[in-house]
This record gives sequence, structure tokens and C-alpha cells, in this order.
Amino acid sequence: MKCRPNNIWPVNTVPEITPAWHNSRMRNVAEFKIQYRQILDPRGNPCAPLPAFAADADELRRMYRMMVLVRIFDAKCVNLQRTGQLGTYPSCLGHEATHVGVGAAMLPEDVLAPVYREVGTQLWRGVTMGEMLLYWAGDERGNDFSQPRHDFAWCVPIATQTLHAAGAAMAFQVLKQPRCALAYIGDGGTSEGAFYEAINLAGARKLPVVFVIVNNGWAISVPVSAQTAAETLAQKAIAAGIPGVQVDGNDCIAVRQTVAEALDAARRGAGPAVIEALTYRLSDHTTADDASRYRGEHELKEAWNLEPMIRMREFLSRSKLWDAAQEGNLQQECAEQVETAVRMHFQQSKPGSDAMFEHLFAQLPVHLQEQRATARRYAAKVSGH
Amino acid sequence: MSTFKLPDLGEGLAEAEILEWHVKVGDQVRVDQPMVSVETAKAVVEVPSPFSGVVTALRGAVGDIVPTGAPLIDFDSGTVVGSMPAHNEEEFVEQAGVVPVRARANGSGNGSGSGRAVPAARALAKRLNVDLTNLAGSGRGGLITIDDVLAGVDALGARNAPAVAGGAPESLRGMRRAMAQSMSQSRDQVAGSTVCDDADIHSWNRRGDFTLRLMRALIFAWRAEPALNAWYDSASLSRTLIDHIDLAIAVDAPDGLIVPVIRGIDGKTADQLRAAIAAQKEAAHQRRTAAKDLRGFTLMLSNFGTLAGRYGIPLVVPPAVAILGAGKVREDAVAIAGTVQARRRMPLSLSFDHRCITGGEACRFLAAVIADLERPE
Amino acid sequence: MAKITMIEAIAMAHGWEMQHDPRVVVIGQDVGANGGVFRATAGLQQRFGKDRVQDTPLAEAAIAGMSVGMATHGLKPVAEIQFMGFLYPALDQIVNHMSRMRNRTRGRLTCPVVMRMPHGGGIHAPEHHSESTESMLCHIPGIRVVCPSSPARAYGLLLAAIRDPDPVMFLEPVRLYRAVRQEVADDGQALPLDACCILREGSDATIVTWGAMTIETLRAAAELEKRGVSVEVIDLCTLSPIDIETILESIAKTGRLVIVHEAARNVGVGAEIAALVAEHGLFDLQAPIRRVTGFDTVVPLFQLEQEYIPSTQRIIDTVQLTLTEGA
Repeated sequence: MKCRPNNIWPVNTVPEITPAWHNSRMRNVAEFKIQYRQILDPRGNPCAPLPAFAADADELRRMYRMMVLVRIFDAKCVNLQRTGQLGTYPSCLGHEATHVGVGAAMLPEDVLAPVYREVGTQLWRGVTMGEMLLYWAGDERGNDFSQPRHDFAWCVPIATQTLHAAGAAMAFQVLKQPRCALAYIGDGGTSEGAFYEAINLAGARKLPVVFVIVNNGWAISVPVSAQTAAETLAQKAIAAGIPGVQVDGNDCIAVRQTVAEALDAARRGAGPAVIEALTYRLSDHTTADDASRYRGEHELKEAWNLEPMIRMREFLSRSKLWDAAQEGNLQQECAEQVETAVRMHFQQSKPGSDAMFEHLFAQLPVHLQEQRATARRYAAKVSGH
Repeated sequence: MSTFKLPDLGEGLAEAEILEWHVKVGDQVRVDQPMVSVETAKAVVEVPSPFSGVVTALRGAVGDIVPTGAPLIDFDSGTVVGSMPAHNEEEFVEQAGVVPVRARANGSGNGSGSGRAVPAARALAKRLNVDLTNLAGSGRGGLITIDDVLAGVDALGARNAPAVAGGAPESLRGMRRAMAQSMSQSRDQVAGSTVCDDADIHSWNRRGDFTLRLMRALIFAWRAEPALNAWYDSASLSRTLIDHIDLAIAVDAPDGLIVPVIRGIDGKTADQLRAAIAAQKEAAHQRRTAAKDLRGFTLMLSNFGTLAGRYGIPLVVPPAVAILGAGKVREDAVAIAGTVQARRRMPLSLSFDHRCITGGEACRFLAAVIADLERPE
Repeated sequence: MAKITMIEAIAMAHGWEMQHDPRVVVIGQDVGANGGVFRATAGLQQRFGKDRVQDTPLAEAAIAGMSVGMATHGLKPVAEIQFMGFLYPALDQIVNHMSRMRNRTRGRLTCPVVMRMPHGGGIHAPEHHSESTESMLCHIPGIRVVCPSSPARAYGLLLAAIRDPDPVMFLEPVRLYRAVRQEVADDGQALPLDACCILREGSDATIVTWGAMTIETLRAAAELEKRGVSVEVIDLCTLSPIDIETILESIAKTGRLVIVHEAARNVGVGAEIAALVAEHGLFDLQAPIRRVTGFDTVVPLFQLEQEYIPSTQRIIDTVQLTLTEGA
């Protein structure tokens, strides 16, 4: 079976009218191509050789388990928001393969610079559901990851995190540490100046950093075709002089292998890479959004045919690594795990007003001590109100 | 019974319209089961059940607009934990038809005249109890100046002159008033006793930072004899030993005695202490010491020797139980091993509250202070 | 006449001006089919087409920089920045070009641009969505900064901002978007820029505020009235330049000034008002000027939002403090 990019939204093509020099006799000075990788097709059939890690059945089951946990946790978060128990929440529905694949490809000592949707990667790396619930319930303590202590926190200002990852990679290079940084960015984020600055700088300095563009088709209401005229987002790497590749972002095995190869090369001094993972935002942008206002139902229905859970499960069961009983147990286990995390979350007390001042500086300046006292004095009145 | 109220489903949404109920009265529902579809200003949203239970009432019909925070549905059981604050529609308290208007008058107001005064004159008038409205201003545009206020006092004085010459009674204010109160309290409550001695600081570098050395010596002495860093409660006849030192330092400020507190001196580096002292001195002289910085000290220090004086009887301010006074450093003729030598010495006076401190504890404390001070830098 | 919210009034002002001035175009992220994430541009693309209501790529520097290009060449862009917290990539264009184009070309090229952005917190939004950093903008010479506090003023001031020949930063308090409804006539009547609004007249103390803090301030004034204290409430409306005359006139009457803002205190707009009053109205003051502001901390995530935003009680206490101070 032939591997096809699973874009379902309109794809940009080369324009028909071009400048006069387009067809004139000139010498080629550089040529580029963008490759696409898929290992499992949407029905879970391998369409390319399986990577070495796929021989480890436990590892494959571990990846699938995490995808299931993410999906259940994500649905719970949306419900908590809908019942007034969580703030605005950006669902990751449909991104499970990309996020888990990236998490599994990274080493613990690598550094992750996330956006705000990568539940699968963060859970894999050790951030807890409790921490995630805290953050989306409006409490900075959620950013104080129990582990990994060195990862960056969620990053709302679009694309800014790509430069942080480049900077961390520069630190590893200067300090001669065999570590890599990995920055996520969305399709919309690639329009920001910071992204171009980051990939350019990383290329110029051959930094050990990998940029994963999660192309889910939509930046809130703006489709990729309105975001850029480029045929792929991976090709933005070409301008930075670094390799760019597309991968099926709904294929967890392909994502893991592609990211692992890029990280391995970067760790050995080959420099940065851009990986465009093609997936789809099956949810609204956040719980404050309503995608039905701007997105056709047909497109969404198509996208569900390509979603990542089915193909991983089908692949596992066809390989005799998974059965219905295991599936039932897993669903129940994950649901219980999520319920426990939610229950423990609600047992936590609300932060006090001192939390605003505690970590502002290493040592709180005198004028802020007065403000802290004012905040304390009125905090009681606010909560009593 | 518990009632589920419509939460803010977006960011700052005031209301939602009920599109469809997915449950009815009497239904047994599970947590997260779809309950109702509503349309907000931003989206059509399916609200799941926040808990399991039997529905006892739907608080709105299809087409009804429900304000955020209003009851939506009742259950026979269940509780919502950790719910987000709801936003109610604000009462609109502003008068209608308000539009921006630039002021007609050009410049600084209507200058009603009565009591327009230079700020310093206003402050002086308040201190001297002079009513500004009775004064005629001699400044530009009738502005009342300091001289006008003083003239007002003279006029007042002429009317209310006391029988004795040489000044009118001045009621104590601010720091001086606080001093009067705390010293009266000390006199009325504390069984004060004072021991004096000298520390030989001849080995010090001449530029030695006295206050810092004294603080270090107090920390050292406290570790040797913890009893003097304590609070005494006469009502319950109890004392509390404090596990850190919040040191009050007497500062001679223009308005009177100010005794700001440096917190946790036993946990601070020399640089931090220096900075804290400088900041408090500066604040004292600027008259902006915060009220909280005047309370809760556990030990006191008065370095009065920077001005003059050899020994003194410093007064303990309750609930603290001890104060160390340091007098003016001078060269003394000291007999050392049968010879007389000129040595620089610092006179020390330690007052303590004999109600809860024994003489022995006080003397051991003073000995430790001296031992630490006599170490070369 | 129907009662409408501030967000509806903003959409209505866009509609009026686009209908009457073909040079007006709307750009921004999600302003088209989606009608803006707060629905401030709802229905405009259907009504005026994709040329006049354009979704931009996700790039704030591009939105500001393109506005400069569009404005200098025949259009009047009204650009939406999705949240004030995402304005900062655009500052380079605003500070270095938009604000000074007229000056540096001696009037040859000008920038009639309006940049609209949600301002402030109070709606338990995510991180970076609740800041009030108006003083950064007020410090830039060559731009106006406007902040309405009611649906009617949002309509009238936005029309004025679009019609103004110079760049205007139009800050929209998110807390007020849907908080109140008011009758607003769609009559194309603009309100004056550079002028304060007196929301309530009083004689004992003056409170100057703007944006969403008018809620707590008016509540405080109502409560103080019950206690026999008469407070005059001034809505600044245009934050830069400041209409100081109206404030001075009020102080000449009341002798006392409290400034209330949601933004952090340090070098806030309140500091500028206090300085202007110290320069021009000191002798009318009967007590020190007091400020009630957000703390000089990072705006906390929303669990502590209500502790950060100055409360009605803080305003009441501060007014009462000024009444006991001074002569």
C-alpha cells in the first residue's frame, strides 16, 4: 500500500502564473525536496519497514497505554471545564500519537519546550496529571513540575519557546553536555518571527535542537492554506539550511522513529532539524472556542477516519500483542487513574495571596513586603465576600 | 439536594441559552454524562453532569436564557467540588448619558480660597492646631504660607497666652508620642536591673563597623545564654524563648526615638545586615518607617555611644526582656599584668527584666557579648 | 432601541464606519469567519467581504507592520490583537514606525491605525491573558491610548479612534465585554478623544479610574455615599494624552484625590496623574494623593485573580484614609 500524506485540508500548490524567469534557461544552483514518512497506515497495516524498537512488545504496549490515558484525561479536563471546575482548557484530542511518539523518542536528560497542548509528551516525561490540573485550574504550582525539573513550563505566547529551546541547546553545546532540546510549535506558530529566528540561529550554530511542528490544520479559525503559501511547513527548514521532514503525526511509531533519529543526529553534532507532524485538531481550539463556526463537518468526519488510536490498536491486535480483554482492562485502569488524580486535585487548598510574592525575586524587595501585607489584609475579605 | 449552577463556559460570558435538555426529572445520571446543550455568545456547548444522582428539577426550559451563576439543575445528591467563581451581571450604577467633557475652566480650578495652603504650611497648621479657614493668605492668589501660619499662632498666642513665659505646651505627636507611651509602659511593668562592663576592642581595625559587631556579639551571646531573647507575659507569668532574633535598634531621628526592627539577624549575612540597617536608618530619617517594622522585636540594642555617654540605664520595652546599650568608645588606662596600658574599650550596659531573667543569666550573657567583641576582626 | 453589550457595541461601531468609509479595513487573527475570539468583529466578513475583513497569519509584528504600510497608502486599518499579552512582538513596529511616521516624514506619510486589544483580567482566562500594561503604551510619544468603560462609550470612542488621523491603541476591558447592557443608538456619533468623563459628581474626594475598575469604583462611591461621603468619579477614557484640566477642576472642589487602576502601581498611569496634579494642583490638595492599584507582581493565574484586582473595600478604605489625613 502506498503511503500518502494524510492532509485533509486544502494543500497549497505552486501557482500557475510565475515570473518570466521561471522557465528561462538558467543554471540550477540548489535543489531541495521534502520527504514524508508513514510506517502504519490508517488501518494499522505497516507500509514501511518497522523500526528496531517495534520489536519490543512491552514498549509498544507502553506507548499505546499512554495514548489511551491521554485521551481519557483530556476528555475529563473538557468535562471539568464544562462544569465550571477548570478554566479554559486546550484539548489535545487527535494529537496523542505525535505527543506520545515525541515523548518516547526523547531521553530524560533532554529538555522539552512545550506549547500548551502536549499532554502525551509531558505525561511520558513525568509531569503529573495533578500538575496539569493545577495549571489549568489557574494555579502556578502546576508549573513546578515534580519531574523533569529542567523542562520548560507551558508556553502561551506563540513561538517564543522555540528560541528558548535554541538557547538551551546552545548551553549544552557550550557546556559540552550530550543533551538535546526539543521545541514544539503549531502550524500557526510557524508564521511568527521568533520561529524563523530560532531555526535560522540553530542552523547557523549547528545546535542540538529539534523543532517539531504539530500541523493540526487549524490555528484557531485559520486553516494552514490561509496561514502560508508553502506546500509544506517542513520546507521552512530549507531556508534555515537545516533538514526538514514530514511525518504522519497520527502514526505513533513513525513519529517516535523520526524524532529519535533527529535527536540522535543532533546529539552527535549534526545540528538541528525540523519535523512536521501531520495530524488533526479533532476538538475546538480550546473550551472557549466553537470550531463549528468556521470548520466544515465533512472535514472533521474525514479526520476521524485517520485518528491515531485505531491504527495503533489494530496494529497491536493484528500482531497478537493486544486483545479485547486487555483493552477493557486498560480503559478501566486509565479511567480510575484519572479519577484518582482529579479527586486528589480537589483536595488541595487554594493558594494564599502570598503566592503572588513568593517567587517574584530571590529576595523580596522592601516595597513589595508592604504590598504583600496589603494583599494579606484584603485576601480574607475577598474570600469572605 | 444539591443545585448545579451555570458556570462561565467561556471567558467572561454572562449568560447562556438552553437549547436542549438531555436529561429529565427522575433520571438517574452518571458523572460526565451529557446533561444539557446551551448556546453562549461564543459557542454551542454540551454541559456534562458534574456528579452522579437523580435529577429532581430542571431550572429552565428550552429557549430560556440563564445568567452565569444561576441555578440550572437540581439533584437529590452529590456535590461539586472546587467550582470556579461565577460571574454575575453587573449592576450598572453609572448615571445614564455620561459623555466625555473637557473642563471649561482653564488651569487649576476655581480657587475657592478658603484654606488653599502650601502643603508644608498645611502640615504645620495641623501640628499647631491652627484653623486654616481663619487665616488670610499672603502668598500668590491668597495662598497660605508658613509665615501666615506662624503669624496665626502668634495671634492665637496673644489671645490664649499661658501665664508662664517661654512657650506654649505642645502636645506630643508621632514618634515622640510613641516613645512616651512605650517608656511609661516600661516604667510601669518592668523590674529593670542593669549591669555594666567594658569590652577591650583595642585589636579592632579602627574603621570597625560597631553596629554589625554588636549584632554578631548578641547572636553569639544568645547561643550561649538563650534566656535573654524572649517575651515575658506578666498576665500569665509565662515566658517564651524565641528561636530567632528580631533585633530592635534605637535610631535617633528628628521626630524622636525610632526603634525599627531588623528581622532574623541570626540568619543573615554581614552584607544583608548592613543593607537592612542602612535601609531602616534611611527610612527612619525619611520618616517613613513602616508600622510593621516597629513591632515584634525580641531583643533590643542602643548604640548611644555614637553621640556621647559612657554607661546608661537602657529601658526594656515589654514584652522583650533585655536591651544592650553601647557607650562611647574611648582610650582607658588599663592595668594589664602589672603594667598600665592605653587600650580602646567599649563601655556596655545590659538592662534586663528581673521578673524572668536571673542576674546570673544576665551576667553570663554580658560575658559572652564581651568575649565575642574582644575577638580581633 | 435594544440594550447591547460592549462587545456588540464594538461590532456595531465597526459596521457603521465600514459602511460609511470604504477605506476602513479590519485585520487580525480569527477576525473573519470566526468573528474574533470575543466576537468583536462578528458578521463583518459576511457583510463586507474578505478583502475588507482579513484573517492574518499568526504574527503580531506582521499585523502592526502591515497596518503601517496599509495606513500610509490609502487604507484605514482597524487591527485586532487577540489579547494584550500578545501585543509585544508588535511593539517594534508601534514604537519605531507607527508612532513616529508623521513626525519623521514631516507629515508626508501618516498612520491612521486603530489597534484594538482586550485589556485586563477578571474572566479567569489562561496565563498571559489578563495583563494591563497600558502604561507601556502611554509612554510612547505619537500614539493615543483609549480605554472605554461602557457600551455607549465603546461605540462612540471607537468611532472617534477610527476617524482620528493618528494611531490609536484601543484597550477593551474584557471584564466589561459582556458585564452590562446599555441602550446604544447606532447613529455614527463619535465621542471626543482626549477628554475625561465624570461618571458621578461629588464633593468630598475625587477618584480617577478607567476601564473595568469603574465597576469597583462606582460600587465604592455608592457605599461611601451611604456613610455620608460624597465621591466624584472620573473615568479617564483617554489614557494618553491625559485630560488633566477636568481632574484639576474636580480636585479644586474636593481637595482629595484617589487614583484606582488594575495595572501594577510602579510607573503606572496613576503615577503620571499624581505628578500632573502635584505640578498643577498641589495647593488645592488637602491630603496626600493615594493610589489603589494592582500589586507590583506578575498577574497571578486566575485562582488569585480576585486577590490581585483592587477590591471595592480597598477603595473605600483608601478614600476614608484620605479623609482623615491632612487638614
